[in-house]
Amino acid sequence: MLRGRHLQEQRLLDSYLAERDGAPLDPPVAEHLADCGTCSARYAELASFMDALRHDGDAEADAIFTPDRLRVQQQQIARRIAQVGRPARVLSFPGRIVRSTLSASSARPASRWVAAGAVAGLVLGVALGASYQWGAHTPSQLLMRNSATPILTPVATRGSSPAEVAADEAFLSDLELALERPHTRELQAFDALTPHVREIKDLR
Amino acid sequence: MSVEYPSSPAGVPDPEQGESHAAGAPRARRTPAAAARLAGDSRLAIEIRGLVERGEMDEARERFGELVAMHQRRASRIAYQYLRDASEADEAVQDAFVKVFAHIGTYREAWPFEVWFTRILINGCLDRRKTRSRRDRWFVGSEISSADEARAAAAGSSADPEHRLLARERRARVAAAIDRLDGRQRTVFMLCHYGDCTPREISAMTGLTESTVRVHLFRAARKLRGLLGGKP
Repeated sequence: MLRGRHLQEQRLLDSYLAERDGAPLDPPVAEHLADCGTCSARYAELASFMDALRHDGDAEADAIFTPDRLRVQQQQIARRIAQVGRPARVLSFPGRIVRSTLSASSARPASRWVAAGAVAGLVLGVALGASYQWGAHTPSQLLMRNSATPILTPVATRGSSPAEVAADEAFLSDLELALERPHTRELQAFDALTPHVREIKDLR
Repeated sequence: MSVEYPSSPAGVPDPEQGESHAAGAPRARRTPAAAARLAGDSRLAIEIRGLVERGEMDEARERFGELVAMHQRRASRIAYQYLRDASEADEAVQDAFVKVFAHIGTYREAWPFEVWFTRILINGCLDRRKTRSRRDRWFVGSEISSADEARAAAAGSSADPEHRLLARERRARVAAAIDRLDGRQRTVFMLCHYGDCTPREISAMTGLTESTVRVHLFRAARKLRGLLGGKP
């Protein structure tokens, strides 16, 4: 408790806190403080430091939190706790629209049945179609079809007689012709009327 | 640092013994009347809990107003000393009370209401400090509003501008010194000096042992005296 012949700082602080809280001082400490001028002065200094700190802090906070402000705070708390335990507020759509929609839908029950029937039919049709296709193209069939696909022979291995070359030429020029022609049906009539470069070349 | 909740209410003073005080009670010494008020606030909290459980919400809200009135001033002092911003302290106090009301069903009579409430308040303040420190990394720190400053400056009884200026500087110095305390020391010091809590109550609030609380208090006081040159 004592360092040399004086009270330790920790002991002084404990005594200060005890006194502040209204508890009696330890009898040995009280005796020592009464007898020792140095410790008594240290204790008084500590107490005045702590009291000043507290007083300053309280004064500052009390100046900000005036009774008016506390009243406002209390009202805000009351307003906020009024919402506790209540279900969340639901924002409704504009009343007239909702009412008209509801009345329209409830006034025509038959149309709702028609819509439901159409949806059911669609679903049934899709399901049947899917099952039919699934049955027609089972994985094994698909596999067989893939394996039956002929492997294309490279051009270099084919015959290179003049007749075959001419046939290839004709085929390729037909292909080019088909590609050059417009794909739009409306333009095909104009295309038929227009002379092509190839035709002019042929005429020569 | 956040205030840890002890798993059991061991070490928590019996509310019937009234070891604490209520808001607005004389700060220097605890009187039997203050002690009776403490017991009263715990009883009131239990009563409100019963009302909520029975679904009598309007009555519960009305009684809760009394509880707010009892603890509001003290809560505002603590929150302000923590946050140093009146608006934020105001919000923190409101949040704490709303949280208490929303969770009143979990309140157990083994804990004094003051201890339970202060824990909630302190944790809210610590969260706000954390959020603010994160925000301050990116934004310029906000000064205390001039209105608050003016009110705080007017706190001194003297109308002398020089005296007020000195008081303001002193408060700023004290606040800066408290801010330099280690997180746990700061919490313990604030609860003891601004919340008027005993080391035993702080021990119940923070989950620290009573002797640890005393050590933190001692270190905080020593550091503050060193930083402030022996006088605030």
